[in-house]
Amino acid sequence: MSNILDRTAENPFWFHECFLMAMPLGKKVVNLRELLEALLEVDESVLFYHLIQSRLALGQPGVEYPNDFALWAANALQDTKLAEKLSSFDPFEYHNLGLVRQAVVDILEEYLWDLPTVPWARSGFEFHFCQASVVVMHSLISANTLKDFCAALNRVGLDSIYYHFFEARWRLGELKGDDFSFWIETNFGLPELVTAIRDLDVYFYSLKEVRETLLGLIHQHLGELCDYSE
Amino acid sequence: MITLNDYAPIVGDEVVGQLCRLAERLQGRRFVHINSTAVGGGVAEILSRAVPLLNQLGLETTWEVIMGDPAFFEVTKAFHNGLQGFKVHLTHAMLEHYRQVNRENARRFNWEADVVLVHDPQPATLIEEMRPQSRRWVWRCHVDASRPHLPVWRFLRGIVKHYDASVFSMSQFAQNLPHPQYLIRPSIDPLSEKNRSLTEEEIKAVLQRLGIERDKPIILQVSRFDSFKDPVGVIQAFRLVRRHTPCKLLLAGGEATDDPEGPQILAQVHEAAQGEPDIQVLLLPSDAHHEVNALQRAADIIVQKSTREGFGLTVTEAMWKGRPVIGGAVGGIVLQLRDYHTGFAVHSPEGCAFRIRYLLHRPEMARRMGLTAREYVRTQFLITRHIRDYLTLMILQDNPNSRLIQL
Repeated sequence: MSNILDRTAENPFWFHECFLMAMPLGKKVVNLRELLEALLEVDESVLFYHLIQSRLALGQPGVEYPNDFALWAANALQDTKLAEKLSSFDPFEYHNLGLVRQAVVDILEEYLWDLPTVPWARSGFEFHFCQASVVVMHSLISANTLKDFCAALNRVGLDSIYYHFFEARWRLGELKGDDFSFWIETNFGLPELVTAIRDLDVYFYSLKEVRETLLGLIHQHLGELCDYSE
Repeated sequence: MITLNDYAPIVGDEVVGQLCRLAERLQGRRFVHINSTAVGGGVAEILSRAVPLLNQLGLETTWEVIMGDPAFFEVTKAFHNGLQGFKVHLTHAMLEHYRQVNRENARRFNWEADVVLVHDPQPATLIEEMRPQSRRWVWRCHVDASRPHLPVWRFLRGIVKHYDASVFSMSQFAQNLPHPQYLIRPSIDPLSEKNRSLTEEEIKAVLQRLGIERDKPIILQVSRFDSFKDPVGVIQAFRLVRRHTPCKLLLAGGEATDDPEGPQILAQVHEAAQGEPDIQVLLLPSDAHHEVNALQRAADIIVQKSTREGFGLTVTEAMWKGRPVIGGAVGGIVLQLRDYHTGFAVHSPEGCAFRIRYLLHRPEMARRMGLTAREYVRTQFLITRHIRDYLTLMILQDNPNSRLIQL
């Protein structure tokens, strides 16, 4: 196993740094029906922001729901049942954002169908739509071997983890894909490790936990030489 | 002089390295900030720290301050209150005076810029006189504009729509505007006199000088004497707590040169505190950063019971000092205080009193919340993140229509 860790990749992995600037649209909704109608119209970048990007924009500790819609249902509509439904929904189960949009719309539509009244947000707790602009640049960190890769994963900022593991899904137009597993697959094969990375249930992980989990998986699949420190 | 490298032990080498690499793309760019007060208030504090750091990074950054007479600041205070939802009345003469003062300031200025960031409404109308002086004009709103009084916003929107972009502290404050809007959270400087570490001796010396005994738990609110900071509500909360638990209340306030309402509110505070020996009102000069630092570190619980708040940097400062914080559930305070994790957000004097009692009786919980709060501030609300956002904003101004920019 030690050979695979030291084998030089055909293409080195260059870590990128990622600077995300949230952009509010100045558009808000005050009840669940308005949210549903707005979700049918907003740009996919808005959907991506509220489901995935907002975790980099502001990593607040102790938030119990994994996306902005679930959080809004719990805090503003004070509807825990809906928050639970929106939390259990996993955007990475779908191949593209068009399907993700349909899935969220289906959840809201079904939920509203059985309700006698439309849930409203308290004043001051409206849902405000955002998207983001992202500036990306090369970091000074690269990896030629899997051993280098593990060491680098420990050194890069959380924004790099975000960029290669989450933003990649948007960039590649494939919500199952990420830069890390793609690089490992194309340079080293290792189908079991690649599958394990792609099968991670990452939606509930903080960026720090994603880093630790990736290192743990490589460690688990490739043996003790790829040690990591937390 | 403080250099960027001095921040590395606090935020990590990688964060400082990132700033340098990002700034390499912007070498020599001219970046001008304009506001209306050189001292006092959160904006002046941020600029006094950010401008030297941006210069160190190789951007030609300057900070200009507009001048105005008391009548001008009466108008802009009305804008401020109107943006925060008060039903203020603006006459044609007031608006004309506002424009006139800005015209006079424009004649005095001779800068040219690649990007100018105009802070708050006071200097906003400069764009009408000085448009060609900068390639891009960005309006920065620090105020809680979630529910502005319509006539005030209608007037300001007529000016702001001419800008190339706007920046708000929270998405709730963003408006229907014909240009890109961005979110930039304010920040504090961990190395400033207000936030640097202090020794126990330094803290004791300040308390002694201000005549504060540590014989009971200290509840502290630091803020201007402004009705939106609700100092009278804090006194109400304190009186409720005192029925059950001994403690003392310190209300420490500074003065800002652009706030004519201060003395009036201060008089209301004195009246509300009458007959209560455990309430101390401290009127501190705007440069009493060292004293505020010591007070925050000496306090057992810090309160910021605002009823409107752009962001609430006093909350951030208190969190950075590892203190448990109770804040009004408004504006940026909600973003910072998460119940049972980083603090408590409350909706009334009663709620504030209840949480003060809760924390006084649970010192271990208070300590843990303080630690979590400090770490949250380290990653999200320090000046290094703010500088990064300024640099990103500058890059985005070169590519306003692009959502993904590869450098």
